[in-house]
Amino acid sequence: MSENSEASHSETNSSVPAKPQPRITPWAEPLWQGCAEGKLRLPYCDQCEACFYYPRLWCPQCFNQDLSWQDVSGKGKVYSFSVIHQSPLASYQEDVPYVLAVIELAEGPRMMTNVVNCEVDTVCVDMPVEVTFEARGDMTIPQFQAVAQGEK
Amino acid sequence: MQNPVAIAAVSEMKPGRYPDKSGYDLYLEVVRQFLAEWSIKPSDIQDLLACPAGMAEGGSNDIFVHEQLYEELGIHPLFADTMNAGGSTYGLMVQRAALAIERGLAESVLCIGAGKFPKVSTGGGESMARMVSHEIYEFPYGTFIPALYAQVASRHMFEYGTTPEQFAEVAVSSRAWALKNPDAVMYDSEALTVAKVRESRSIATPFHLYDCSIPVEGGAAVLVTSASVAKRFSEQPAYLLGMGEYHSHRNIHQAPSLTDVGCRTAGQQAYQAAGLSPSDIDFAEIYDAFSVNPLVFMEDLGLCEKGKGGAFFESGASRPGGDFPVDTYGGLLSYGHTGDASGMSMIVEGARQIMGIAGERQLDKANAGIVHSYGGMMSEHSTLILGRQA
Repeated sequence: MSENSEASHSETNSSVPAKPQPRITPWAEPLWQGCAEGKLRLPYCDQCEACFYYPRLWCPQCFNQDLSWQDVSGKGKVYSFSVIHQSPLASYQEDVPYVLAVIELAEGPRMMTNVVNCEVDTVCVDMPVEVTFEARGDMTIPQFQAVAQGEK
Repeated sequence: MQNPVAIAAVSEMKPGRYPDKSGYDLYLEVVRQFLAEWSIKPSDIQDLLACPAGMAEGGSNDIFVHEQLYEELGIHPLFADTMNAGGSTYGLMVQRAALAIERGLAESVLCIGAGKFPKVSTGGGESMARMVSHEIYEFPYGTFIPALYAQVASRHMFEYGTTPEQFAEVAVSSRAWALKNPDAVMYDSEALTVAKVRESRSIATPFHLYDCSIPVEGGAAVLVTSASVAKRFSEQPAYLLGMGEYHSHRNIHQAPSLTDVGCRTAGQQAYQAAGLSPSDIDFAEIYDAFSVNPLVFMEDLGLCEKGKGGAFFESGASRPGGDFPVDTYGGLLSYGHTGDASGMSMIVEGARQIMGIAGERQLDKANAGIVHSYGGMMSEHSTLILGRQA
């Protein structure tokens, strides 16, 4: 490969950079700890009796700062999605086509993730999904996949 | 409004690629063209609002751009700032200027913007994705701008049965207008068809290449004044009849609804302030980073029934000669998206149509028009209603 062929540079395996690893903020540590244990653990407000996402220092509904954490079902539905056929992100080139989606959890909060382990053409809005976990560097991050048939 | 405010003068440099000019150089060119075009004297400009022009160059260090510009102009404002709200920056500049003029704090406020747009293929796509998606809770999933907008399009398709072909109709309409605008990037190109849009390469479903705006560089200036001052510049100023803004979310997954992202609320405020209803509006200039935007925002601005935006564009009403023209300068889709300055283009065009100086594309009926722009991932919204009578 010539040195000036920047555009095709990212197509070589050796030069594919690692996918971005989320930065861990102190108030979000239980989320990532939960992922490492295979659980989707979200901040919970006792006053609102509701989980929220993403983790914050206060409940966005009532400003309560005395928050706890709750393991949620990990079940949800695709609220919306897009199948990516061309991505500018070097670290995602080998995943193309991939699915970027907004998931609505059964408990209410929405999350942005990928929908993984599927044919991209099978993904649709309202499709039942469940959490799965992906190793990302030394972290574990939540992802979603179609609910296995018969488990809906 | 109590003390009428107007857009007295507008100027926009031809969008294109200006590799030898920095963001600030573009600013100077915008000002130079504006001063020359309207024979502006120093006493004509009291105050100044500007926007950082270097965001798309990878983070802005020119957050004091207004200081440099008022010094170069040789004016000493009582009211000045560098502000930023993405694509809604300039709509909100007009609104901030109008508030200051209404309160008697200012009489003529020059609102200026200039923008660079990095090439997507050389890292620009990634740097912009980092800018517009949550660093921790979105970006690690391979986000980039078309894929984030596509979330709104896919949800609209699900809730209302809108089709990719209907989104494509928006791009077809904008191209038809661009062919009438010598400043448009696609002026010398050919008409689009739904088939051509759908046959262009797929980027992020449901969007193909021609559903996406064209990244270029440029800038514009808008002089907002009291109605009495406006008459010095133009026989027919564009009076600001109503305005509204709304800030909904930052990250698209946090939008309370992907089919009601904030445009509706801003629009309602503007109609209420103007004492007008959608049936009083003759045309719309709607920020269109992607084909989805005008389709959805026609609905949210009450200009067609919710869920019927697709049918509206399919009908051809938005095109030249149609009953309700939309994005008459070619839109960001075919006029060009000037990065940090993109939110200027629809204001400049809305004012030109009202002022009757829109050239070959001048509308026969332009007594009142609506200009909607937004910033971020359809995060924050500005609606202006402009008209011929204060």
